[in-house]
Amino acid sequence: MKTTTMLAALLASTLIASPAWAQTIGPNGETATPSSEVVLTDADIAALQGKGYKAALLWHTSSDFINAVAAGANDEFARAGVDVVVTTDAGFDAAKQRSDIETALAASPNVILSLPLDPVTSAEAFRGAIDAGAELVFLSNLPAGYVHGTDYAAIVTDDLFQMGKQAADVLAASIGGEGTVGWIFHDADYYVTNQRDNAFKATIEADYPGIEIVAEQGISDPARAEELANAMLLQNPDLDGIYVTWAEPADGVLAALRSAGNTTTKIVTLDLSEPVALDMVKGGNVVGLVADEAYELGRAMAAAGLKGLLGEEVPAFVVAPALTVTADNVAEGWQQSLHRDAPASVLSAK
Amino acid sequence: MLDTASAPVLELSNIRKAFGGIVAIEDFSLDVRAGEVVALVGDNGAGKSTLIKIISGVYAPTSGAIRIDGQEVSMPNATKAREHGIEVVYQDLALVDQQPVYMNLFLGRELTKGPFRVLDRRQMIAETERLVTELDVRIPSAHATISDLSGGQRQGIAIARATHWARKLVLLDEPTAALGVAETAKVEKTVAALKSRDIGVLIISHSLDQVFRLSDRICVLRRGKQIGVRETAKTDKNEIVSMITGV
Amino acid sequence: MSASSPAAPASPVRALLARINLQQYVVYVGFLAIFLFFAVVLRDSGFLTQRNLVNIVLQTAPATIMAIGLVFVLSAGDIDLSFGSTVAVSALCAAMAMAAMPAAAFPVGILAGLGAGLLVGAINGVLIAWLRLPSFLVTLATMGLVAGIGRSLTQLRSIPVTDPLFTGIFGSGSLFGVPSLVIWTVVAVAIGHVIYRQTRFGAHVLATGDNARAAQVTGIKVSRIRLWVFMISGGLAGLAGLLYAGRLQAAKYTLGETDLMTVIAAVIVGGTLLNGGKGSVIGALVGSLLMGMLNNGLILMGLSVSDQMIVRGLIILVAVAVSLREKTR
Repeated sequence: MKTTTMLAALLASTLIASPAWAQTIGPNGETATPSSEVVLTDADIAALQGKGYKAALLWHTSSDFINAVAAGANDEFARAGVDVVVTTDAGFDAAKQRSDIETALAASPNVILSLPLDPVTSAEAFRGAIDAGAELVFLSNLPAGYVHGTDYAAIVTDDLFQMGKQAADVLAASIGGEGTVGWIFHDADYYVTNQRDNAFKATIEADYPGIEIVAEQGISDPARAEELANAMLLQNPDLDGIYVTWAEPADGVLAALRSAGNTTTKIVTLDLSEPVALDMVKGGNVVGLVADEAYELGRAMAAAGLKGLLGEEVPAFVVAPALTVTADNVAEGWQQSLHRDAPASVLSAK
Repeated sequence: MLDTASAPVLELSNIRKAFGGIVAIEDFSLDVRAGEVVALVGDNGAGKSTLIKIISGVYAPTSGAIRIDGQEVSMPNATKAREHGIEVVYQDLALVDQQPVYMNLFLGRELTKGPFRVLDRRQMIAETERLVTELDVRIPSAHATISDLSGGQRQGIAIARATHWARKLVLLDEPTAALGVAETAKVEKTVAALKSRDIGVLIISHSLDQVFRLSDRICVLRRGKQIGVRETAKTDKNEIVSMITGV
Repeated sequence: MSASSPAAPASPVRALLARINLQQYVVYVGFLAIFLFFAVVLRDSGFLTQRNLVNIVLQTAPATIMAIGLVFVLSAGDIDLSFGSTVAVSALCAAMAMAAMPAAAFPVGILAGLGAGLLVGAINGVLIAWLRLPSFLVTLATMGLVAGIGRSLTQLRSIPVTDPLFTGIFGSGSLFGVPSLVIWTVVAVAIGHVIYRQTRFGAHVLATGDNARAAQVTGIKVSRIRLWVFMISGGLAGLAGLLYAGRLQAAKYTLGETDLMTVIAAVIVGGTLLNGGKGSVIGALVGSLLMGMLNNGLILMGLSVSDQMIVRGLIILVAVAVSLREKTR
């Protein structure tokens, strides 16, 4: 893939400590603009108020993450006096996503926020929305052949590279920069998880010569995480740490460790999740969670779409920062990432 | 014999049926003439059901011959038996409950019309109405769904279907076992109506009263053996009972 | 013989009621009621626009095609759980064949797509009709098997479909202003309805599902009927796969998989019994449109995703309850 680019960027960052977002690149190699630079000004808000503008949120699935993104988008739209008239969930079904787009268009939205399920099937699906003149802001993915400015306003995504890197950093710190680790990556052609997973691996290999990745395991179905982790631990009983591609399979890995009575292998994973965070604050195997700022992502998506609607220049590729959450900052981390309180169980266990 | 002029529609000669080492029927011979009702009686396990299955083509006899209108036939399956003009009214009636009466009468032999062979419902309904009138089976209409009918009406439909398609012989297996008095009388009227159509009838029944009301001759089976055949008019219940029980 | 004609009904009204089966009309009444509800509530939200109404038909076209197949399978007393994954494999086979032979894309696409569907149907049919394995378990197994094949065919990648003739006929094209997906829906429903209601085959399917023994003893070749209904279901799943591939101009392993429950609900609400012997192709069409209209209307009402699911579930529950209550009346 783009390993060389990423490695070069990584080296640059460690040498001159440039801002973190510099390393994440868009699906077509776009350079990233930090989401903090995409802000509606008071003049923008005034220009948007009272125009009867409407927005549609066409998600690919329902999840905690999407809820937080939607909350950020809804609040930003409300600030600008824009009605969110349609919210849908395609359940990862490309055909359903196409139907959702067509249905939403009946409500004539001016701005559409969506995560295109995959570049190929969504290319035709979003054509109707472009023809209808809606401003499109995509989360993470871009339909094949789409041109910035004419077809869509912006792509907004996590700082994917930084998430993987920070996961490597927190895991390395917890094992003292020495030892062996396992790498459980998402076995699918999906550039969001691919970039995060590869950033972890690249960081360990480049920054931590004392740490060796001794086991690599792809996963496509989170439900199988426990058996995969069991197999990994059977072959490498002395693993010092394991990276898990996201929180849901991390539950399975934790279950495997618990049933093996293993309290020494450290785990790091991505995204905030109650069971994994609970293990962390109780001093279990989990040493850190790296989250994206989902609420900020949603806010930036809404802002990018509205700026496009006003005819302003919008950067093609916008990233929201990554955030390392440990037992020490779990309450703040939850607020910053999801814009709400951490679960009571997590706060009280602390 | 009642009518020496006509050849038997069904003639069974020296039928023997064995399942492995167990002999179910040994050396059974019987003939049924057109327009004649013959009753087959015997205790449970006497071999009546096995005989019905041999005549309807479900079982092939181990040895012996089956003749229809004097022609020896082999009946490897139920379809073949139907082709020879033999129809069976099964104890479970073999009706499809959610279909109307007329579709049941033509089940498996639906009438079609036109080059695309679409169902000729009008014709089927017309023939059904004619038939139920003729056999005096009282149903609300040819469109009535079977599941909405009473036990006697269902039995009537099953008999009407057999009558419609049978050219030679109708086998009735316990036609009134599940019915009340009034409905039994109704079904017996229908069976009696078959005689007038010159069809042979072989009926299995547990009710000797019924056998004496309906049949021309009575054939008694006991443990796979043919005990004897009597003309109904020339025998009485005591004789038949002692033939059935062997005491 | 009695003086009154036996075929004459005791009361003409009762006979008429006996002929009109209320259960089969539940779906039409429900459809109309929900349509009127949305028409009033969403009068300013674009629900009644011609484009939106046409969209509902376009969006439900593949599900309607699958539903026709399921009506035959259920009517014969069986169940098919594999048609959803068959849709994806058919679409993928069509897309791969077209990519491999761009010169003859249209015919090889159709052949590969329908062929894949018929093959799955034939495998189901042989296992069920000849080896006498229960259809629930066989198709549960083939559902997983076929889904796995779909995933491995392209390593989860989507395959673009670019042949303009194919995407026109199976997707975005139109004839005299009528979108091709509408034509496919109408033609498939019409043919399906005639075969189901007006042919001996249709009657034999119903007899098989109602009382297989009765069908057998009246000379109906029950095994052959059961094989055929699975072939029909597989073939129509293949057609649905072609429609999806044409509409999305791409094939993906997820196509059709989420339709399984929607299609079963559409068919049941449309008056087809889950345990055989009775059904309706037209009812399945209306049931499928009802499902699509529910999706569409609830989205346009601006409900949250979870509220959409709750309301949809409740409406389906009511529809099924009413239709089953009518049946046991």
